[in-house]
Amino acid sequence: MTVVMGEHVLDLACPPEDVTAVHEFLASVWDHEPDLSVEDRMALELALVELASNVIEHGAAGSRVACSLRIEVRPDEVRVTLDDDGVPVQVDPSAAHLPDALAEGGRGLALVQMVVDDLRYDRVDGRNHWAVRRGRH
Amino acid sequence: MDIVVHEATDDTAVLECSGRLNMVSAGAFRETVAKVVDGGRARLVVELSGVEFMDSSGLGALVGCLKTARQAGGDLRIAAPSEQVQMVLKLSNIDKILRTYPDGDAAVTNWG
Repeated sequence: MTVVMGEHVLDLACPPEDVTAVHEFLASVWDHEPDLSVEDRMALELALVELASNVIEHGAAGSRVACSLRIEVRPDEVRVTLDDDGVPVQVDPSAAHLPDALAEGGRGLALVQMVVDDLRYDRVDGRNHWAVRRGRH
Repeated sequence: MDIVVHEATDDTAVLECSGRLNMVSAGAFRETVAKVVDGGRARLVVELSGVEFMDSSGLGALVGCLKTARQAGGDLRIAAPSEQVQMVLKLSNIDKILRTYPDGDAAVTNWG
């Protein structure tokens, strides 16, 4: 197996695991990537926890969902992918927008859009595939 | 997430929160607020200096609890948000409906 420098992978099974595993995984990634700025860490943690929350909440559709999260820290940017075996999602990430101020939901993807440079969703070979890119600050 | 409830006055409570306000803890946060409001304190100060992470699930819970407080004749204020929480509040434009105070003591008074 080839291990690429700056690459980190987390495999999740929900339930029993939840987004706590994503927070703990990211804490270990930051330990390995001390040069990543606080601004980048805050943005990436928000984006990845929002996406993982969506996968757990919607992708599982009441049953179990397996999700693989991969982070690649490059000198100039960070690339992240999330793959899961949940049900297809009807979503256009580029159309995500903030709801009314008094809404209690529907902000997740809009927030992700604000803190990353590129967000894509594809359905590939029966799996959901999310890809995020953020230039380092 | 941990929540410590301080009964500041007969109608005001300060909820001192620490940890993460996300999809794991949002339900427990809503339940705690509902109990405090049911107990007669509908003026709520949510002290967030110890919350190192909040996301849209946490924001949704805050908005829901704001409604719960207002329906009972009170209100909900945020005090001492951490850097990460400030980022999320700013991005979401929620500062239009949720007033933020520098610390819990400043938020407890002058409800008008």
